[in-house]
Amino acid sequence: MATTGQSFYELYRRSSIGMALTDTLDDLISERRIEPQLAMKILANFDRSITEVLADKVKARLTFKGHLDTYRFCDEVWTFLIKDVTFKMENSSQTVHADKVKIVSCNSKRPGDPQ
Amino acid sequence: MSNPQVGAVYQQIIADVVESSRVDFEEGGVDEHVLEELKLGWQQKLSQLQVAAFPWDPKQEPQPTIANPPTIPSNAGNYQMSTPPVSTQMQQSNNVPAPMPPTNNNVGPRIKQEPGLDNTQAGGMSQPPFQPPIIQGTTAQQRAAAHLQANYGPRAAASISAIQSGAPQQGQNSQPTMQQIQAHQQAMHQQQQQQMMQQQQRQGGMQQQQRPPMTAEQYKAAMAMHTQQRLQNQNSVNGAQNDGAGDDFEGPVAIIKRYNANGEQELGRMEVDGLIRDKIAAMGQAMEGGGLMLPLREASNAKKRQRKVKRSVSGLAPQHDGPGSDDDEDNKDHVKDEELDEDAINSDLDDPDDGLNDEEDDDEGMGHIMLCMYDKVQRVKNKWKCVMKDGVLTVNGKEYVFHKASGEYEW
Repeated sequence: MATTGQSFYELYRRSSIGMALTDTLDDLISERRIEPQLAMKILANFDRSITEVLADKVKARLTFKGHLDTYRFCDEVWTFLIKDVTFKMENSSQTVHADKVKIVSCNSKRPGDPQ
Repeated sequence: MSNPQVGAVYQQIIADVVESSRVDFEEGGVDEHVLEELKLGWQQKLSQLQVAAFPWDPKQEPQPTIANPPTIPSNAGNYQMSTPPVSTQMQQSNNVPAPMPPTNNNVGPRIKQEPGLDNTQAGGMSQPPFQPPIIQGTTAQQRAAAHLQANYGPRAAASISAIQSGAPQQGQNSQPTMQQIQAHQQAMHQQQQQQMMQQQQRQGGMQQQQRPPMTAEQYKAAMAMHTQQRLQNQNSVNGAQNDGAGDDFEGPVAIIKRYNANGEQELGRMEVDGLIRDKIAAMGQAMEGGGLMLPLREASNAKKRQRKVKRSVSGLAPQHDGPGSDDDEDNKDHVKDEELDEDAINSDLDDPDDGLNDEEDDDEGMGHIMLCMYDKVQRVKNKWKCVMKDGVLTVNGKEYVFHKASGEYEW
């Protein structure tokens, strides 16, 4: 697991579920209940888990349109800042509008990645 | 719609992580109930976010039930929002070396502490009117000194010492330091009380040594707490500290100035550091012949950078805009300032105007953000087409998960 654990993105740690986990781990560390090393392992587990679950369990599709404000491609990571964007969830015809959305996106075909 | 799916997906992730971490817990020799606690805390934090971010459909109950079922989202939100600050406060005060009442920078808690100390000092004599001025005087001094220190770093050392030693001379009644109180008291008292005074002074001497730094620490701790609370209020994602407790101020560094037992001023560590740094800078300047050896770019930035370094080393780690200035304008000003002179490599990526950096500062929590992987990113002229997959999208306080997303946008 340690070897495969390396090949998952840490990107999702910024999501709400990742932040919640990080906060909780921080609390535990500052209460000296766990070691930081253990927290790192848990976070690595999280990286793997969320990647797998998103890949396996989620089927939803969506489309979005907007105006690209800023783009950046650095270290195989695309970062877009899109303004005035509309998301359209397929199969529910629900739309969500936002003034701006930031997209952080890693390469799905990562060398060494099992997928 | 992928929204209702979020609860189930997250629950599965939590269960998965907990299961796979069990081995790590065993290997680390950590009791299993800590893992349970982690799970509960995680879920609780998450449902807190959910309530704050988007109302859960009844369908999603399974996940929050384990933690703390929010039957009425708004109430549950209020209740839960109020808990974490308390726990972090306790946590912080556990780690704080000096006794630190977990309140912000008002004077309240210190008054409580004062009477005890002052009673032992004032002993049999009746001089209670001194107390309030003492407190306010020192606080104002501390604040002014800290502010100077924060803004000008070691260069302000002279002004700070002027504040600290000069203020009492203006009027002993209004702003006496501890030494002067005692001198004052001593002068006023009869011989018969002398003996008692000496005894008290021995105790007082101990207190003296600790006292000024302690107030400085307390003040900083209060400020740090205040900032933290502000952060928490702003952003419910950061319901608890991210960086662990207690590292946002360090006791010894915070000493601006201390008094030794004789009442003489000793240089605090920061001042000594400042002197050394100035000395080194002067030596460097001399060797380089006034910066000739620096690349042109650095030479022009050197001054700014120096200031930045001084400011950051001045010990007020969490707050760069100087204590007491709570107004956002000031705050922003300094953020801008820092962005300009931070140890940037002066590439385009450091351009503060480019929007992406702003983003990160603005809403690194519940912003509008999509985290995903890209399959394809294509561009023809100014038209972009992207195919994303396996993403988490947070927008307008709601969260969505998707397997595939295609986007079209023009630049």
